[in-house]
Amino acid sequence: MDRNQISKWLKNPGKMAHKYSFHVVYFCTGCGIIEIPPSITTRWDAERFGIIPVATPRQANLFLITGYVSTKTLKAIIRTYEQMPEPKYTVAFGSCPINGGMYYDSYNTITSLDKYIPVDGYIAGCMPRPEAVFIGVTHLWKLIDMDKADGYKRYREDYVHYRANQEQLYGQMDWPPLFPVEKKEQANL
Amino acid sequence: MVSLKEKLLSDFEGLKIDDREADRLFIDTQKEAVLSLLSYLKKAGYNHLAMVSCTDWIDEGKFELVYIVNAYLSGDQVFGKKEKKCIVIRTKISRQSARFMTVMEIFENAEPYEREMHEMFGIDFEGHPRLTPLMLERDYKIPPFRKDFDTLNYVNNTFGKIPSIEQRKEGLK
Repeated sequence: MDRNQISKWLKNPGKMAHKYSFHVVYFCTGCGIIEIPPSITTRWDAERFGIIPVATPRQANLFLITGYVSTKTLKAIIRTYEQMPEPKYTVAFGSCPINGGMYYDSYNTITSLDKYIPVDGYIAGCMPRPEAVFIGVTHLWKLIDMDKADGYKRYREDYVHYRANQEQLYGQMDWPPLFPVEKKEQANL
Repeated sequence: MVSLKEKLLSDFEGLKIDDREADRLFIDTQKEAVLSLLSYLKKAGYNHLAMVSCTDWIDEGKFELVYIVNAYLSGDQVFGKKEKKCIVIRTKISRQSARFMTVMEIFENAEPYEREMHEMFGIDFEGHPRLTPLMLERDYKIPPFRKDFDTLNYVNNTFGKIPSIEQRKEGLK
């Protein structure tokens, strides 16, 4: 263990433990998922950074969106994100979740992901190499240290707006709201 | 021995056969002859329908349907070893009344291809048991793979009109 970090560990052990044990939910979307097998296996070995993939969102706290998001996939992404326990962090890969990328005029690919779920960080590139993934993760550590990776807090606070955007896209949603949505605020929108 | 091309030309009328490529035989035909041609080829040993596809020629006002049949079994009398392995049948149907017959009686695996074409191009296949949505969830006024579907306009009107969270918050105040 790094001696310089002992004070941090004593100050906030829970946060440090979260930081160094990212459990990534196995969720494949788009083309970026092809970068994940080399990242987690021997060549780049993501476990050096404490990253390990898990099978279910109930055990995960890091969500990697690995590429373009079609409207059908977004439904699954929202459901998976809502199932993850807090604190949870989202990192989006590549240019497609930022503004659509090369799918900017596709008939079923959404153009910006952060209208529907909060995103803590973006890794630019098409596609980012595994090194870029690890640089993104170390940046996420810094954000967690500074309490700036607050996507899950924003999701709780602004859930009315996120839910309103999701309903504007899908019409009727198949599942009830995660947090209570007041009817009055919805009517004002 | 008579080659497959000569046999086809003697048995069917109005075929245009192109055999310049090494492995493939292209047959351009009228839409009435497709079903009989497919069953003929199936009997001749081309017993695998690999692909059914569609092209939108908007300037001509036609849809071009493409059926690709392959041969994996040899030894039949008609299908000699020197014959080509892959046959491409192309036919054109009207774009206005996009209707065609299903080929499921001959090749049953045409079902998902025809459902997909019904969904993406709006072609009705008569005799198909279930032309229900296969992949798309949203409603589109024009089927999205037609050339007159304006994708950029559609994106601006649907995804582009959804406000960001900051805009929503400002709208509340």
